[in-house]
Order: sequence, then C-alpha cells, then structure tokens
Amino acid sequence: MDKLKENQAAYYPGCALLTIDRAYNNSSKLVSKKMGIELVEIPDYNCCGIGEMKSKGAASMYMPLRNMMLAKNRLGSKNLVMACSVCYHEFSRSIARVKENRNELSAVNEIFKEAGEFNEEYIPDGEARHILEFLYNEKGVEEVKKNVVKPLKGLKVAPYYGCLYSRPSMYTFTDKKPKMDNSERPHFMHEFLEALGAETVFYGNEVQCCGGRNVVQDEETSFTLCSQTISKAKKAGADVIALICPKCAGALDVNQPKIVEKFGKDSELPIVYLTQLMALAFGFSKKEAEFGDMISEPLKVLNEKGF
Amino acid sequence: MAIENHNTGNSGGVRPVVEKGEHIIARHLIEDDNIKEEKNLVIDGVDVSGRWNTFIISRVDSDFDRSFFEEIKKTVVGSRINRCWQCGMCTASCTVTPLYRRFNPRAFIYMMQLGNLKELKKYIDVAWRCVGCYKCSQRCPKQVNPAEMMEALALVIKKYFPEEVKTKLKLDEEVKKIYEDMIIGHGRLDLAKLHTSAMQKSGKTKELLGKIERDAIFKMAKDGRAFSILRLGKPHNWSRSKEAIENYLHKLNTIENGEAGV
Repeated sequence: MDKLKENQAAYYPGCALLTIDRAYNNSSKLVSKKMGIELVEIPDYNCCGIGEMKSKGAASMYMPLRNMMLAKNRLGSKNLVMACSVCYHEFSRSIARVKENRNELSAVNEIFKEAGEFNEEYIPDGEARHILEFLYNEKGVEEVKKNVVKPLKGLKVAPYYGCLYSRPSMYTFTDKKPKMDNSERPHFMHEFLEALGAETVFYGNEVQCCGGRNVVQDEETSFTLCSQTISKAKKAGADVIALICPKCAGALDVNQPKIVEKFGKDSELPIVYLTQLMALAFGFSKKEAEFGDMISEPLKVLNEKGF
Repeated sequence: MAIENHNTGNSGGVRPVVEKGEHIIARHLIEDDNIKEEKNLVIDGVDVSGRWNTFIISRVDSDFDRSFFEEIKKTVVGSRINRCWQCGMCTASCTVTPLYRRFNPRAFIYMMQLGNLKELKKYIDVAWRCVGCYKCSQRCPKQVNPAEMMEALALVIKKYFPEEVKTKLKLDEEVKKIYEDMIIGHGRLDLAKLHTSAMQKSGKTKELLGKIERDAIFKMAKDGRAFSILRLGKPHNWSRSKEAIENYLHKLNTIENGEAGV
C-alpha cells in the first residue's frame, strides 16, 4: 500500500461504522474530502476492544495499538483519525497509559513480539484523533463556513457529545492541551453547527451518558438516561439531536421505538450525526448523507423544514 | 433487574410510610441493622424521645487485609487504588447512583482498600452497573480513575464470589463472554450476531420476533446494511494475534487471569 500524500490522513473505521452506522462513515468521508482532507482507511484493522477488554490487562492496549502500528507501517502515518468516540477512548487510553507506564509498554511489546506481525517495537509517538477535534484543529470553523452552500437556517439542533469524546482528560487531554476541547462544556460541535447556519439549543444534557455500554445487560438504565436526554432536548425546542458517537446512536436512535413505548411521546426526537448535517449543508443530497438509515426518521423534519 | 423507585408514595399526595431513620441525610448509605430507634428514651433523667430517638450504631472496621490491596494494585485497571483519599467526588458525580442508590463507587473503593469482602458481598447485585461514563475519573482530584476501579471490582467479585456471579450476575457475565469471544476470537465485532445472541441470553427471544425488531431488520435488509455485516470478515493473519493474546493472558499471575483466579 502506498504511503499517504499531504492531503490525506489515516482513518480507522471501526466495526460499527463499516456495517450498521455507514451513515456516519460515509458522511465523515464526504465532509472531510470537501474540507480538503481525504480519509484513507487502514487495511486489516481490528476491533478496538470497545471497553469490554479493560479487565484483561495489557491485552486491552494491544487491540488499539495494533492499529496504530498498521497506520505507521502500511500508510506511514503516526496519527490515526477515527469517528467513533468509543474507539477514540480506547486508543487514547492505550497511548496515554503506555506513555506513562514503562511496564505496560513492555507488556504490550511482548505481545507484539509474540504475534510477530511487525518487525519493530511499538513506540508511543502518535496520537489518536477524534474526527470532530481533527477537523476543528486542522481546518477550522472558517473552512466549514466557506464550504456551506445550503445553510441550515431555522433548524434547531441539540448537540450531544456523550461521555468519551471529552472525558476523562487524563486520556483525551481535554483542558490540558491548548488545542483540545473543554471537558465539562465542550463547544467544538456548537461552533460547527452555528457555522452551518443552524441554531443550537442549550438543554443541559450535552455530556450526559446514554448508558450505551449496558444497553443489553441493563436496558432500563439506558432507556431512563436516553429518555431524560431526549425529552430535555425536546423541551428546549430542538428539532434534531446531533451525535458524534455510534454507541450513542445505538442507544438513542436504534432503541428509540422501545423508549417511546416505555416513556411516551416526550421521548421521540429525530437523531442525526453531526457529519450528516455538515454533508447536507455542503450541498450533498440526503441520499448521499444516508439520512434514511436512521430509525428515528430525521427525513420527516428535514423535508418539513425544506432542506 | 428493576431500577429502585424512590418516588413511590410521594405521588398522589399520600405521605409515605415512615422508613426507619427517614430523616437521616444520605440514608441509603446506612444499613437497616445499623439504625437504632428508641421509643421512649431517657438520658440522665431527661426525656429525649421524639425527633432525637434515632441513633446510628458506630461502625468499627478492623482486620485490614493488605494482601488483597496488593492484589488489586497489581492489575492494570486497579493500579491507582492507593491514591484514593475517600472524598466521595466519584459518588457525587456518578450517573448510576441516582438510579441505583446502593451503587456507591467511593464505598466500593474503600471496601477494596480494606479487603472487606464480607461487606462487599452485600453489594454484588449492583456492583456491575457502572456505565463507564468516566465522570468520576474526570472529576477525581487524585486521578484514582474510579471508572476503571469498577472493572477491578468486577475482577475481585469474579474471583471471590463465583457462585454469586453465576446466579445474580448471570446475564452480565454471559454478555461479557460473548464480547470477549468475539473480540479475541474474530478480531472484529459482528454487531448483528452480538445483538441477537445477547437478546437470546437475556431471555428476550419473543421480543426478537416483535414488531420493533422486525422493522429494524427489514430496514437494514432493504438498504443493504445487513449484507455489509456479513462481509465484515476477520483481519488478515488475526490467528497470530489471537494466539499471542491468549498466551499473554495465560501467563499473567494477577487476578486478571481468569483461569488461575479461583
């Protein structure tokens, strides 16, 4: 595989984005390309461990770091861009931990050596980057404004960051590095949405948890948390909730019919990804942004509003 | 498992039945047995019955088991247990505590520091309810990382209470096993298979055939996403990584090694 060119970035898709959340994957690629960066998928990626491997010691760090090695070896890129917040958390966790702890680094390298896939040792010199933070820092809000051809005038959006994009700052370095977002009051998505011409609403649950991790084992918790978030956003007058994490989509969007069944119509609100809205404002069609994939039917609202 | 409802009784304007020691702040932190209520209490000839009749029996923690503490400290997730100074910021910011009042990260860390297994056993049913939102780790003034400490707690419970895990935490354990088998075995996550097998394990086979699930499956088959799941496959040469991970886990001499744990 060829090494990356200047306007390209190594991209880690993740399992959800390649399958059921293709809306997020496709729209992320479209938006990045329009903004001048082509996302190139790393070949042969493996699962990041989605938080279920943490009690397995250094094996939990091997999973994401193998992908960092792939990016370096096959694409010649130290950094890796990803759109999923859970993957982002796993990557940043592993990198931050091995940077800090020599024992953990040597344990991971031991696994690398035994697998024998790469000839070199892992050196923690790269960074994992969330697509929101990546686009904000590399291209900026001005670049977004420049590309808007169809402003989302009159659309009220509730930005929902979820947990792992900004927390914990010991891994993601929010508040700690000047370029990063605020951990308790993130604002990158707000700025992007306002640049698109949309209106953001304040509803108080921007960084709350959706309970997505325990959605199978303990769906009541997840449904309660999701219903709180959705009904608060609805009360604040939002037309849609914008997400940046496929796990939040699993809890808020895919499970929405069940939540509505349990908590009533107050918990019904269309869910979209931030990048879908960006793609729409950048002039791509609703089909290209895959709005039809969402269970909560955002197409209805968008058609009503005339986008 | 049902979420504990604290509002029952307050609805409809009917005053709820008086709970033992009702007016104690943070009542849920105190065991029923540790509250002593006197009907007619006279101290030094003064009748103090009424509002002042409730006492909390003071608790004495002895028998510190330091070996237990060292065991947790050796793991990756529990490596910072020594830093905790019990301020309670984790419990104050917890997402789960308002839903399960007995879920108390600060207390769990305290019990782990002391090695108090007897006390820990009482909380097994709620101990695995952490949603991993990392609010506690974000706000912890000592960077203890309580969110990951809950993973260490899971390891401890797995090692010392295997029977309870089999009964009270059956579903959690099974779902975790599905995840681990899929992640280590295949290297990638098949979300459709994960969803259906987890639903079956939780006894919701009927729901799988219900309208909501059917609609979702039909939608995904129609727009072609169902087929992309079939195409997901394995990473090239994953078997070598799989072997290396399994070898690593087998060689571990901490409680992270499930086989050697019990």
